[in-house]
Amino acid sequence: MSGIYIHIPFCKQACSYCDFYFVTKPGNKNAFADKLVEEIHSKKDTAYSNEIIDTIYFGGGTPSLLSAEQFDKIFEALDDSFRLDLKEVTVELNPDDVSKEYLSALKSIGVNRVSMGVQTFDEDLLKFMNRTHNSAEALKCLELLKASEINVFTADLIYGNPGQTLEMLEKDLDILLQFDPPHVSAYSLTIEPKTRLGKQLELGRLIPAEDETVEKHFELVEEKLKQKGIHRYEVSNFAKKGSEAVHNANYWEHKNYLGLGPGAHSFQWDESETFAYRWENEPDLKKYLQKTHFNESEKEELSLQSLAEERIMLGLRTVKGVSIEKLEKKYEYKLSERQLVYLARKEKEGKIHFASDSIRLSSSGLKIADALTLDLITA
Amino acid sequence: MNNIRNFCIIAHIDHGKSTLADRLLQSTGTISEREMQEQVLDDMDLERERGITIKSHAIKIDYKRPNGEQYSFNLIDTPGHVDFAYEVSRALKACEGAILVVDAAQGIEAQTISNLYQAIDQNLEIIPVLNKIDLPGADPEGIGQQVIDLIGCDREEILHVSGKTGEGVPALLEAIVERVPGPKRDDDKPLRALIFDSVFNTYRGSVAYVRVMEGTLKKGQAFKFMANKEEYNAEDIGYLRMKYEPAKELKAGEVGYVIGSVKSLQDVRVGDTITTVNNPATEAIPGYQESKPMVFSGIYPTQAEDFEDLRSALEKLQLNDASLSYEPETSKALGFGFRAGFLGLLHMEIVQERLDREFNIDIITTVPNVQYEVKLEEGKSIQVDNPSQMPEVADIDAIFEPYIKASIITPADYIGPIMKLCQERRGIYVNQIFMQNNRVEITYEIPMAEVVFDFYDKLKSGTRGYASLDYEFIEYRKGDLVRLDILLNGEQVDALSSITHRDKAYYQGRRVCAKLKELIPRQQYEVAVQAAIGSRIIARDSVRALRKDVTAKCYGGDISRKRKLLEKQKEGKKRMKQVGSVEIPQEAFLAVLSMDEDDR
Repeated sequence: MSGIYIHIPFCKQACSYCDFYFVTKPGNKNAFADKLVEEIHSKKDTAYSNEIIDTIYFGGGTPSLLSAEQFDKIFEALDDSFRLDLKEVTVELNPDDVSKEYLSALKSIGVNRVSMGVQTFDEDLLKFMNRTHNSAEALKCLELLKASEINVFTADLIYGNPGQTLEMLEKDLDILLQFDPPHVSAYSLTIEPKTRLGKQLELGRLIPAEDETVEKHFELVEEKLKQKGIHRYEVSNFAKKGSEAVHNANYWEHKNYLGLGPGAHSFQWDESETFAYRWENEPDLKKYLQKTHFNESEKEELSLQSLAEERIMLGLRTVKGVSIEKLEKKYEYKLSERQLVYLARKEKEGKIHFASDSIRLSSSGLKIADALTLDLITA
Repeated sequence: MNNIRNFCIIAHIDHGKSTLADRLLQSTGTISEREMQEQVLDDMDLERERGITIKSHAIKIDYKRPNGEQYSFNLIDTPGHVDFAYEVSRALKACEGAILVVDAAQGIEAQTISNLYQAIDQNLEIIPVLNKIDLPGADPEGIGQQVIDLIGCDREEILHVSGKTGEGVPALLEAIVERVPGPKRDDDKPLRALIFDSVFNTYRGSVAYVRVMEGTLKKGQAFKFMANKEEYNAEDIGYLRMKYEPAKELKAGEVGYVIGSVKSLQDVRVGDTITTVNNPATEAIPGYQESKPMVFSGIYPTQAEDFEDLRSALEKLQLNDASLSYEPETSKALGFGFRAGFLGLLHMEIVQERLDREFNIDIITTVPNVQYEVKLEEGKSIQVDNPSQMPEVADIDAIFEPYIKASIITPADYIGPIMKLCQERRGIYVNQIFMQNNRVEITYEIPMAEVVFDFYDKLKSGTRGYASLDYEFIEYRKGDLVRLDILLNGEQVDALSSITHRDKAYYQGRRVCAKLKELIPRQQYEVAVQAAIGSRIIARDSVRALRKDVTAKCYGGDISRKRKLLEKQKEGKKRMKQVGSVEIPQEAFLAVLSMDEDDR
């Protein structure tokens, strides 16, 4: 089972926190869709075309800037080139792009899950994030989603913003929960260096939220969502039972994925091998549009050791944790004496649940998952 | 006819000594144009870069006078820095004359004066030279007056030279013949040859550079070092040209090299006397001293696995630098390393830089300190050169620290800032003497501990580089000193302990705590940062516990980025130093160790 990720690099404007690859020029989306179709076709009769594809994810950029017709073309190509047995087809949407017709067109093409970039309902924070939509549009969009046939949806929130109080966050959560979402992704704001916020931080024009504040936000999100039966299953992901994201969860378990479109990443591990490959399509739309054939980019080779450490890093972010047996069998990674001592100590401190079959972090451990991961793999 | 002239050049850094020396070699045909490298005598990279001579060297020059007479000059180069005052004194001892080089635009500097006084004390004939007279800013009139005031010569005796253009060089060569007395030539007395320098050669062992004072040394003769009584055979002797020029004998008055399969440079000590085994001299040439380190510092490899490399690098450095001393030491915080002793600050800096450049070893050095004399309650006295080994307060009766006499020469405009600096460093004012050209010599007695760290930098920056410093050790004096410890979660960080004056301890403790608070990353527990004198806590801060450390987004493209970050963090963690349960990044150590006095 494998997934396909398709990167749609267009945006109306740059969100202040975003460091994904995107272009804000309107550009020729038809030409892009055609080129993407070409890239998809180029995978026909390759190793990928034999694998069964069960998830497709359209991310961006802003996928909802493509028209239903353009999506239709892309799906046709996918269907033509791959063995599809789709469980989950997700499209990321921005609230200001959505109409009833658009949603039903997506549905008829085969989209069964949408991810909506709400981020916040607070007008000032929306401006701070330089989002294109306002809160009224977000509310309208959520209503449309509720009413549509694609009723499996997820909403993104960003917390831990400068100046955001606990009350402001609670208000965001309360509004969102009125729509009874089956899935929520809530991210604490990360200020990346090459973004507008990063530059403001560098210039001293921005005071990031205190760790102590963000910690409280982290706890509030978990608590409010839990009350509605929406449980944390990863650091930033929450779902009602059975509504967990399949495509994203596959990333964390080293399932294969093929990335299409400029800036998309791919991962390939033939499990009979002791190494895997990861690579990135060049993040350059102009060059992408000029391509006459689709050679694969330079691949990074990952050793079993790297994969094991990566798996620990990814697994400890999930509530399920990491299976010790799997580490040993699939990754040939055996915990050392010192690591066992470390785990026992952290178990006593309440950061880690450590049993014979798995390692997983407690709620308080999840908050410092990066530190614990580093400690564990270097113990 | 006595046709030998042995002389040296006394000058301040930048006053053009090396350029002038090059010019002398060139104009006498000692080296050809082709061989000419700028500043030939300074053959270490470091020397050339800093424009200073670290070790003294010597070269034989053949000079043909305009009237056809042939002369042999030996130019003995001297190190220009105060750390090497003893080496300077031995080099001077090998000469009968000294060329005093003064920059015609800048005037006389502190170290020049102290070296000049040494030369006068040893009855050397001084030839005053104003250099760089080709420069537009040259003031031969005013600077000439400074020279007259200083050595009491006539104006006519002062030569005007440009090392750069060669102007005045012929007159200087003639003056060397006419004014510098020829050496006494007591060839028949028992041999006494003064070692004024030594170098280590990988293939031939230690090479002694000597001035034969009396007697004759013949090739193949058995000789001995009078200080340590070791005997060797003079396998190869000769003159110091651009290369070694073998000779059958070295006679009284001559300068040359002696090679005798001496394995260790420690045996060839500057200032020692060589005599023959068969007909030994009864007394050595007076003035020999064992080199005594004045400044100490811990040297640790940043990576524990580099310890053996560091050891072998220090061994190699010591081969060429007998005044470097070191012994292994262990720090709880920094692991295995060495405590090294240096002649002075420049010497220390040079060693640190050579470890980095020539051996490519990353090191951490602790704040330099001096050697203390500690009188214990029980009556015994001990010497302490590592702050963390200072005994507990209750066991100490008194602590004595070395004092130096510092002479600073500066344009009068900077008297204020210099006095302020000296007062801050517990200096005791002695006097100030006004000189020509609006310059002043200020003298202070200062605890050496206050000078070993960044005093010189502060002096330079406070006077736009104009002030010059010379110092000499005077004596040990009792001081109200305490050991200031830094504790993390109650555990002492030995590498950060320091000896300080009680009045400064509080301020310094607070500053170090604040700096550490800023630099120690949040850990999973709160970390208490404290400064203490004995069991008394005098400052306290804390690093709050880590509350949140988790990446928000981790999907397809993020994973690769996250893993690369993890690899980097793994590397960083290897370089962390562990004190109890607290991890301290290398950078925090470096930052605290390099905090300047204002921060400390």
